[in-house]
Amino acid sequence: MTRLITGTALAAIMTMSAGSAFAQTELRIFTGGQQRPDVMRQILDAYQEQNPDVTVEIEVGGATSEQQQQYLNTVLASQDSTLDVVLIDVIRPAQWAAAGWAEPLDEYLGDERDAIMDRYLPAYREANVVDGAVMALPYFADSQFLYYRTDLLEKHGVEPPKTWDELKAAALKIQEAEGNPNLAGFLTAGAPIEGTVCTYLVPYWGAGGELGGEGGAITLSAEQAARPFELWGDFKEAGVLPANIAEIPTDRIRQDFQAGNAIFAMNWGYVWNRVQNDEDSQVKGNVGVVTLPGFTADTPATCIGGWQLAVSAFSENKEAAVELVKYLSSPEVSKQQAILASHMPVFPEVYTDAEVLEANPWFEDALPVVETARSRPVSPAYPRVSEVIRTNMNAFLAGTQDGAASLQAIEQGLSEVMQ
Amino acid sequence: MMRLPRPRVMVLIAGLVVVVNGFVPAIWIVLTSLKTEAELLRLPITILPDTLTFQNYTRVFTDQPILTFMWNSVAVATLSTLLCVTVSALAAYALVRLRLPAPGLILSVLMAIAMFPLISLMVPLFQVMRTVGLLNTWWALVLPYAVLSMPVCTMVLISFFQDIPKDLESAAMIDGCSRLGALWHVVIPLTAPGVFTAGILAFVNAWDEFLLALTLSSRVSSRTLPVGITLYQGEFSFPWPIISAALVVAIVPISIIIALFQERVVGGLTQGGMKG
Amino acid sequence: MLTFDSTKSKPTTKPLPLSRLEKSERHLGLLMILPAFLLLFAVVLFPIGRLLVTSTQRLSLTEPWLGTPFVGLDNYREALTDARFWETTLNTVIYIAVTVPGAIVVGLGLALLANQPFKIKWPVRLGLLLPWALPLVFAGLIFRWFFEFNQGIVNNILMWVGLPKLAWLTDPFLATVAICIAIIWKTSSFVALILLAGLQTIPKSLYEAAEIDGASKWQQFIEITLPMLRPAIIVAAIFRTITAIQTFDIPYAMTNGGPGNSTETLAMYIHKTTIDFLDLGYGSALAVLMFVVSLVMTAGYLRYTRRDPRQEA
Repeated sequence: MTRLITGTALAAIMTMSAGSAFAQTELRIFTGGQQRPDVMRQILDAYQEQNPDVTVEIEVGGATSEQQQQYLNTVLASQDSTLDVVLIDVIRPAQWAAAGWAEPLDEYLGDERDAIMDRYLPAYREANVVDGAVMALPYFADSQFLYYRTDLLEKHGVEPPKTWDELKAAALKIQEAEGNPNLAGFLTAGAPIEGTVCTYLVPYWGAGGELGGEGGAITLSAEQAARPFELWGDFKEAGVLPANIAEIPTDRIRQDFQAGNAIFAMNWGYVWNRVQNDEDSQVKGNVGVVTLPGFTADTPATCIGGWQLAVSAFSENKEAAVELVKYLSSPEVSKQQAILASHMPVFPEVYTDAEVLEANPWFEDALPVVETARSRPVSPAYPRVSEVIRTNMNAFLAGTQDGAASLQAIEQGLSEVMQ
Repeated sequence: MMRLPRPRVMVLIAGLVVVVNGFVPAIWIVLTSLKTEAELLRLPITILPDTLTFQNYTRVFTDQPILTFMWNSVAVATLSTLLCVTVSALAAYALVRLRLPAPGLILSVLMAIAMFPLISLMVPLFQVMRTVGLLNTWWALVLPYAVLSMPVCTMVLISFFQDIPKDLESAAMIDGCSRLGALWHVVIPLTAPGVFTAGILAFVNAWDEFLLALTLSSRVSSRTLPVGITLYQGEFSFPWPIISAALVVAIVPISIIIALFQERVVGGLTQGGMKG
Repeated sequence: MLTFDSTKSKPTTKPLPLSRLEKSERHLGLLMILPAFLLLFAVVLFPIGRLLVTSTQRLSLTEPWLGTPFVGLDNYREALTDARFWETTLNTVIYIAVTVPGAIVVGLGLALLANQPFKIKWPVRLGLLLPWALPLVFAGLIFRWFFEFNQGIVNNILMWVGLPKLAWLTDPFLATVAICIAIIWKTSSFVALILLAGLQTIPKSLYEAAEIDGASKWQQFIEITLPMLRPAIIVAAIFRTITAIQTFDIPYAMTNGGPGNSTETLAMYIHKTTIDFLDLGYGSALAVLMFVVSLVMTAGYLRYTRRDPRQEA
């Protein structure tokens, strides 16, 4: 009996010491409020079950990409080690690489590096590799689409437009026939916010423009640089864009479209779920989504978005953090996110997965869009690049600056960015 | 001119103007907070909610930890008020009663420094707070907020202290009190309205502040209400009804405080001077 | 509250050699002032020192490989030739020039109205003080919604009376007007609070005497109220100016500087340069320049406080 007790006690002590040898690794992951921290929690709970020695805590930050980055700027500028993994916007890896905030992942991935990277959609492979080094792995994808009102198009016998001209004609026809002064023909972001950068870039790329430049400098191709101003200027004059386009931020587009105040809207993937599922949606069942138009039917272009997982260079648990990132960036998690949150997958094969398609029938059409979507300028000084483009686009849409002046201001601003 | 008897109607209209000016935005957000987003976006707009909904208030408490924000706001405002009033009272008393060299100059320098636009000091302040490890704690805000209100508190307290007859303190000191004892046992009780006024001015200043809070204390666990509520909006959402509901939740406590103490706020300022 | 009359309590005679008691009083006095200066040192003076140092460096956190080389006055030179610095400074000056007098006029009006003999005082007082207690950034959000093009109450009122809708937030001039209205609404409350306190200290006998002399209400206002309120108005103006220099919250919430950069203030530009662009060197130089502007303003204030005791004596 005594021996038994001693044995049990001994065993207990041994377990305890074994436990302390495999001390709990505590990781902290930062995400924005918009990236569904609730779904991430579910995924992490499963991860913790498989890896009992790891606990992961979520820190939810500001809601817009800029607010999150403002917070992260202050945290990382002070080399704070409390964050291990950070969810960053697709426009950030270059800045993070330059600032030395993201731990390059190549060494951790080892021989698997190329095999892992090859599985992702090309746009995300490119976005996360800066100067040959893997700075982050993609978590979920996003892209801009053209949303339209199927009921209105049907009623007036219009096909979903493939070119901007078709869109303009369709919008004008429907607006005139409906006679509702509050019905906007087309909505896109026009306020001085990040989304407005894409309002410039989509028609710029569509016209065949390329972003050039070396060492972080950005240059525009001269021929196409004025096309966005011509296009939106024409749309505004014709009344396709509403008069107040310059005060419209991203979610205002969704709200107005959902309230039935717009025929066409250019917006990100999140809109679909809201307009089809929100209780108060006025357009439920009457929404179509297609590739954005181009200047010709075969040259559409769109901006990519999406969120990437970076390991903080100041983390004290980098090994464990990389393991977590690899898990969160796996096809299984991508599928889970697609089903639970309608987050667009970063692997092409997940788009055609039966369960995923059941939850998001429109993903089938989304794949070709995401495959051709393009990255916003890659620059360590991206915040400045973005600021130059969006403030001038905003001033143009507000009518306080003509196209020529806006273009000149953008070109000059971009040339000063990397001095 | 102010005290002449007038028709009641005129007086009522005067009151109505002040009430409408002050309350319209508050009423507007109360109404908005009871609408659905769909109704808010409908054209033509509605004034009264078509169908009352209280779900925005549920969302306020479930979407973000608003009670944490409120607790942070209350704690930061209270602590900075205590610090500010203590520091200002000591300085004001020394300037009024004790034989300092060039008190006028000292006061001017103190005021000039305290009135420095803190907004332009954000980066060095951030670095200092980071170095001493106060970033994302209450203290990162308590210290600057105490400075923010120092000029107004010192001014209020000086004018109050000036009105206390010296003989009272002398008597207390003869009874065995030290200077500080006299300040604590005689002067402060007599100038309680002034201390209170200074306190509420400091409290509201701290309650109001946004930019320093955004920069020095943006982690969820240490966010104050102005920062917390601003961050209800997101790239992909600007939920006006929910933000309105959050504003209502945030404004109610401060309104109650003001309604309870309005007499004292104005009275305190009056009593303490303004006699030009 | 506005007479920082530190001389009042002092003997008016020339200082005699200090007695031992007086010496210990002086020590105690210095000791009591110490906490205030320690706090100011930690929160203001020390950071100002850091600010001056970084303003002479090239310090950009997005380009850490550059190190922090000393560049002398380059940042300042850059600022003086930076069109955006001048534009944002001009915008700030416009906000000061419009909203300080604006808040005082409106605040005076509110104070006069609130000073009527009401039977029930608290609703009026609450109405007077509510804007003061509403954080600036919330006021900004609310007014943005008021001035919204389609759903905003302002344009809807314009439509009801048969006028066209105005592009309040996307026209540079109208956006400035809208922002000024919001600032004046929010800040006139504090001004009214100070002026109301001032009004209540004006002896009623003055008005009674004027009444007997047959002075009209307007004459009473000009001859009695305004002169008696002068010190309170000056105090209100000083505090208002100091906060107006730092205008940030309301334009940030209403237009985020747009359209273009036409409503951006200097404080917003500094914030953007340092927190968004992480260009700490240049941001520091901008902040020092802003300090110079505010120093000029506080200098006027210093002169007032230094002169005031004599005025009262």
